Amino acid sequence: MSGRWLAGKAAAAVVTLVFVIVFNFFLFRVMGDPTTQFTRIPNITPTELADLRSDYGLDKPLLTGQFVDYIGDTASFDLGTSQRSRRAVWTEIKDALPWTLLLVGVGTLLATLIGSWLGVIAATRRGRNSDNGLLGFSLFTYAAPEYWIGIILILVFAFWIPILPAGLQMTPGVEFSSWVSEVTDVAEHLILPATAMTLMLLGQYFLIMRSSMVDVLTEDFITVKRATGLPWDRVVSRHAVPNALLPLVTLSAIQFGAVVGGAITIETIFSWPGLGELTFQAINDKDFPVLQGVFLVFSAGVIFANLLADCLYFYLDPRVKAD
Amino acid sequence: MTSLLEVSDLRVTHRGSPIVDGVDFKLDRGEALGLAGESGCGKTTTALALMKLLPPALTQSGSMTLRPEGAEEPINLGRRTEAGMQLVRWRHISLVFQGAMNSLDPVQRIDAQMAEAIRLHSDQKGGKEVGRKISDLFKTVGLPVSAARRYPHELSGGQRQRVMIALALCCDPSLVIADEPTTALDVVMQAQVLQLLERLRESLGLALILISHDLGVLGETCDRIAIMYAGRIVETGPVRSVFDDPQHPYTKLLLDSLPVIGGERGLAPPIPGAPPDPGSPPEGCRFRPRCPYAKDECLADPPLREVAKGQSAACHFAPWKKWPDPRAAAAAGKKA
Amino acid sequence: MSGTATPAGLDARAAAGAPVELADERLRDVLLGTWRGRISVGLLGFFIFIAIFGSLLAPDDPYASSLDVLAPPSWAHPLGTTEQGSDVLSQLLVGARVSIVVGFAAAAISALLGSIVGLTGGYLGGWPDRILDALENWFLVIPALPLMIVLARLLDPSLGVLILVIGLTSWAGTGRIVRAQVLTLRERAFVERAKALGAGDTYVIRTHILPNTLPLIFANTVLIVAVAILSEAALSFLGLGDPSRISWGTMLENAFDSGAPSAEAWWYVIPPGLCITLLVLSVSVIGFLFEEHINPRLRDDR
Repeated sequence: MSGRWLAGKAAAAVVTLVFVIVFNFFLFRVMGDPTTQFTRIPNITPTELADLRSDYGLDKPLLTGQFVDYIGDTASFDLGTSQRSRRAVWTEIKDALPWTLLLVGVGTLLATLIGSWLGVIAATRRGRNSDNGLLGFSLFTYAAPEYWIGIILILVFAFWIPILPAGLQMTPGVEFSSWVSEVTDVAEHLILPATAMTLMLLGQYFLIMRSSMVDVLTEDFITVKRATGLPWDRVVSRHAVPNALLPLVTLSAIQFGAVVGGAITIETIFSWPGLGELTFQAINDKDFPVLQGVFLVFSAGVIFANLLADCLYFYLDPRVKAD
Repeated sequence: MTSLLEVSDLRVTHRGSPIVDGVDFKLDRGEALGLAGESGCGKTTTALALMKLLPPALTQSGSMTLRPEGAEEPINLGRRTEAGMQLVRWRHISLVFQGAMNSLDPVQRIDAQMAEAIRLHSDQKGGKEVGRKISDLFKTVGLPVSAARRYPHELSGGQRQRVMIALALCCDPSLVIADEPTTALDVVMQAQVLQLLERLRESLGLALILISHDLGVLGETCDRIAIMYAGRIVETGPVRSVFDDPQHPYTKLLLDSLPVIGGERGLAPPIPGAPPDPGSPPEGCRFRPRCPYAKDECLADPPLREVAKGQSAACHFAPWKKWPDPRAAAAAGKKA
Repeated sequence: MSGTATPAGLDARAAAGAPVELADERLRDVLLGTWRGRISVGLLGFFIFIAIFGSLLAPDDPYASSLDVLAPPSWAHPLGTTEQGSDVLSQLLVGARVSIVVGFAAAAISALLGSIVGLTGGYLGGWPDRILDALENWFLVIPALPLMIVLARLLDPSLGVLILVIGLTSWAGTGRIVRAQVLTLRERAFVERAKALGAGDTYVIRTHILPNTLPLIFANTVLIVAVAILSEAALSFLGLGDPSRISWGTMLENAFDSGAPSAEAWWYVIPPGLCITLLVLSVSVIGFLFEEHINPRLRDDR
């Protein structure tokens, strides 16, 4: 029945998330001994070290003590304290998350729209110059590192022809007269990173949509629709595209991992204050609690986005509801 | 009386190789013509060429003239542009496709798909009018009206094929082309769909071009039959005369390979060999390499000519008074 | 459309997991039959050559610093200099090695791991398969770069760590493809016949399953080489590379950190990224060609 399919997907997502949480604990406890971080503190005495260890609950037994504590803490969004800023990791993440969502959302939206639109164009002009040109372009953006594209964008549009800001999310130290000018300022700062994000994702969406359209266009019902006298562009827009979107939705779920990767590198070069930049700083400072928290949030985000794609598929394809 | 459709010298080529190689036929109003042959002989290509629906890799030529009821002057399909063809398609000629499974858009409800076609060719824009038309059509083809609100995958294969027939009738065409309409169905469903087509043809005065590899199906439904081989019509005539007294060796062998109820046990052997590759057709008669009766004369191309009343065959030796035993003939041919 | 030669038969075969072959004489056609293939093979060959002989070809010591900082291209430095005054061209030639070595080694680990997991799960079936399949799905869902970052940060960066980290995180796709192929092969007549005749598991796997799965593994591994090269570059760019070696990723890191964009030092920014792009592009195109060859449904030029 209809609901069961979605319920199954949701249950699978929860199980995956639980595994991430468990994995996260053992990864950091087993592979990285947290005490090594404290020995870096200059002039630390063994008693101070022991105090610190008990503060962090590291003197408790691994499974029955530390693991149980960890699960309880994680469930109440207590992800520990950043060693760099001394702030709660969850607070740092909460501050950074909206900026990442903004960048990722705008980039994904633009890439989906432009990529699938170009994919439709290429599929209906298969084998012609415009198709080959688009194929070459998308393969290039697929192969090019997104941070390299970003650096080139900065070099060109922030310094060579200085029309856009090179980084940050808004002009620092400015009192905005109204929310309109504030939004405009953020939008201006968003253009370059969002362009880099869009270019990075564009190629994949284009290739998926193109091959999906090519498949759909060979189906019998397309010939039947043409036989009814429906003009070609309406056959494409009303029948081919809605069917071609289905694989796009499924396959774009695979993209979410890449989106996260792009967020890390692109936010790093644009100093965009999101989760990616937070990750980069944590790498540099060996700030393991932050790395642990960020990994958890990124994974949860991808799992959630996958579930969202399943819901969308459920909504778009009547065949799923049947069985 | 002028015929509804006149096709002459229809040719379809793929990169220079002929797929359909000079096909001529006429179809009267209300007549049912069967088009038979092995797969790959150009039946479906011919059907798609009539509606100019061939994929771009295929090029077609030849004249096709349609004289639908009430039209002031004949429609020259051969000369029509794509935009012009859009006015003809479904309004005058419609199509029931072979794949009942994939002939409907899977993500749209059936009534929406039918309404789209109806609105395309008539001034009936009102939802109520269109809705009434759809429920009438569903009654005509023997489906519950509630099925219209369903998605294609929710119906059985037989029901879907009925939907396709209803869809084909929704603009009151004068000609329906049915390409293997029953191939994907089981025997009981086959019979039902064929009866439905037969009944509709009589009550609506439809002309029908029925394409099938199954001579039995064509024999039951059609007035006239045309046998195709390697892109050409090798024999045509009234169904009864062609079946009772075939005048082309290919027809003869096709009929011999049909199982006969109450006849000898077991199937007669299929025709040995394979149809020629369209890229390099044999010289002269296309069937020569597989024909047990082939002689030196067959190196010349045989024209399609009338050999009995209303029956034509493309064979140098037609009319055949008596068919020699093919195995003996083949052996004799080898010796000679 | 029955008039033309229909590819439907091929589709059905590929979809049913039919035996796929990659015969030697066809291999040449696949790779060199199109201009895309010829250019890609040529490019990859060129980069492999540089990876082997790059340090001999370098006109300068890539590590030598000078006072000639961020200088534009000149006769002495055809691609200009870095923020340390080192020769960009020399660094570029030396840097090829890390990309190629990490790319191929990590892909090899990933192929081995994926094949073992996929074969085991697909062939054994039952609960081992369910566990391994869940593991694959988990690795497919988990975002790769954060996992690599965490692993690389926990271990100390070196070339071996990079290879291991990338190999360990990118095998799941191969595993799933191998599993699907093995599952369909297992049900096929020739395997069932061999089993009915009393053939042992190792025999069946060696003579029937592996030969029909290897081409798939191979094509997939080529695509993973591209992913691994990109991953190495990204990790190096984020400062998780081997600090003792020059790679294109670390070059980009240094270029960015030293303010090459604001200095408009395009000669420092463009070459390493372009090399990564061209290498990934050539490997990907070769991978796509293999994939197309194995699965004719993907073939385009019909």
